[in-house]
Amino acid sequence: MSNATLKSDQLFINLGPQHPSTHGVLRIGLTINGEVIVKAVPDIGYLHRGTEKLAEVRNYHHCVVLTDRWDYVSAMPNNLVFCLAAEKLMGVAATPRANALRVIMCEMNRVASHLLFFGTYGIDLGAYTPFLYAFREREMVLDLFEMLCGARLTYNYIRLGGVMVDASSEWLKRTMEFVEYFKPRLDEYDTLLTYNPIFMARTQGVGVVTAREAVDWALSGPNLRGSGVDHDVRRADPYCGYENYEFDVPLGKTGSCWDRYFCRVQEMRQSIRIIEQAIEKLPDGPFMASGVAKIPKPAPGEAYAHVEGSRGDLGIYLASDGGISPFRLHVHAPSFINLAMLQEKLVGMKVSDVIALLGSIDIVLGEVDR
Amino acid sequence: MTNDEIFAKIQEKFPKIEKAAVQVKNYLTVRLASKDDLMAFAQCLKDSSFDMLETVTATDLLGPVDMKGYIRQQNFNPLLPEGATPQIEAAATPGYPYRPVMDLLWVFFSIKERARVFVRLEVPRENVSVPSLTPLFKSADWQERETFDLLGVRYEGHPNLVKILTPDFTQGHPLRKDYAHIKDRFDE
Repeated sequence: MSNATLKSDQLFINLGPQHPSTHGVLRIGLTINGEVIVKAVPDIGYLHRGTEKLAEVRNYHHCVVLTDRWDYVSAMPNNLVFCLAAEKLMGVAATPRANALRVIMCEMNRVASHLLFFGTYGIDLGAYTPFLYAFREREMVLDLFEMLCGARLTYNYIRLGGVMVDASSEWLKRTMEFVEYFKPRLDEYDTLLTYNPIFMARTQGVGVVTAREAVDWALSGPNLRGSGVDHDVRRADPYCGYENYEFDVPLGKTGSCWDRYFCRVQEMRQSIRIIEQAIEKLPDGPFMASGVAKIPKPAPGEAYAHVEGSRGDLGIYLASDGGISPFRLHVHAPSFINLAMLQEKLVGMKVSDVIALLGSIDIVLGEVDR
Repeated sequence: MTNDEIFAKIQEKFPKIEKAAVQVKNYLTVRLASKDDLMAFAQCLKDSSFDMLETVTATDLLGPVDMKGYIRQQNFNPLLPEGATPQIEAAATPGYPYRPVMDLLWVFFSIKERARVFVRLEVPRENVSVPSLTPLFKSADWQERETFDLLGVRYEGHPNLVKILTPDFTQGHPLRKDYAHIKDRFDE
């Protein structure tokens, strides 16, 4: 019997906002015909806190605290990108030691963030075990963060002109121990999930985004590279001395969910490489630049800075009118922009594949809604 | 490529374009003369390898932000004695050219050239309406909705220009400088 003769009513279902697979408060209004999605309407804004507005009455040091709350799974790049933009406005440059520490922290945060992705993506697709392994290692990264700056998620570690505290030799030793411990774990993950036949069947060939589409949707980060587009901000527009480190940019081939997943797992390996090099070459000297005012008043002007965050190209547009607060702060949030393709990509997919695609985009709703 | 080289290349294809007086630091910033040029210029950029529309946003240049836009008291530090000067005052900076203008911004990026172009356009801030770039770039969809929601810029030709971030009951556009918060059921 063909579809035309077998008549069925269309059904509207809400996915979320309290669904564990939506990784936060995302609602998708799905209209389904049998198992096939006819229409998908993502509904965001449940976590909108108006940080762009709040920044307009806070001074630049206070704004760093706001940045932690966007992407709370990897807050270091958020701190960094705001500081880079504000430093451009103020004409201050961070010291070499601060730059190296910033690189170490951002890469460690990338590892922690991708571990969260790795664990929860497994759960989304019915593999519970990898989650336990991923969180075992993620705890270690968070413990190292806690040891250095006292916080596990919202660090406020990277400050205007440098970093909050210097890393002690004891901390560097513990970090190197973690790096040595972590390297073989990556192979363990591959046997647990990456090459698991069931996992591959659920993700390969599902949710394919071609390179052309990825550019059209302005995707960034592993979502763009999963489609085979070779673009990494650390390469294209280096900051904090990334040009001095050796690392590869892992690329996917087909742009399916598995490719995006695979890019992230490979990126952890590269992050570990960068951390090793940065600790080895860590220069001596002050960890905070001199000349940063207690209440900075940058000259009128505009600046844009962007970094390769854990989720993609995180950018800040900052305009100053010469006052003590930013005149305008705009966040180019990768999660928000990556999520926009959902409304079109979901149409025609099966309901069970929705979670596979949504998980592979790796969104954090704090950043989507800001 | 340096900014000047990119500019020369663009100007060759679109002679009407001019460099902006205020450059976004370290990136090429150009200014459109009128909104009629927008579609043609975007198409021209798309054809010359700037095929990614990264950012759509705007700035309200009316003046310092209105404190009535915030629900909390102006002096939000509980340790300060009553009647003390507020820590942060939204004050105008003398000499800054505030004007009733909406300064629109688009950022185009070329993966091939690894170059970025900031495109600005000034329009009067009342009833702002400019053409939507959704026919050319899919990424414009949500970002234009966001700019509409927060700044009240109408993008003509957008297929679904509705609120995206603020709740349905929020009146006005919060990032406009004269936005005043209207108390709703969630205020104490």
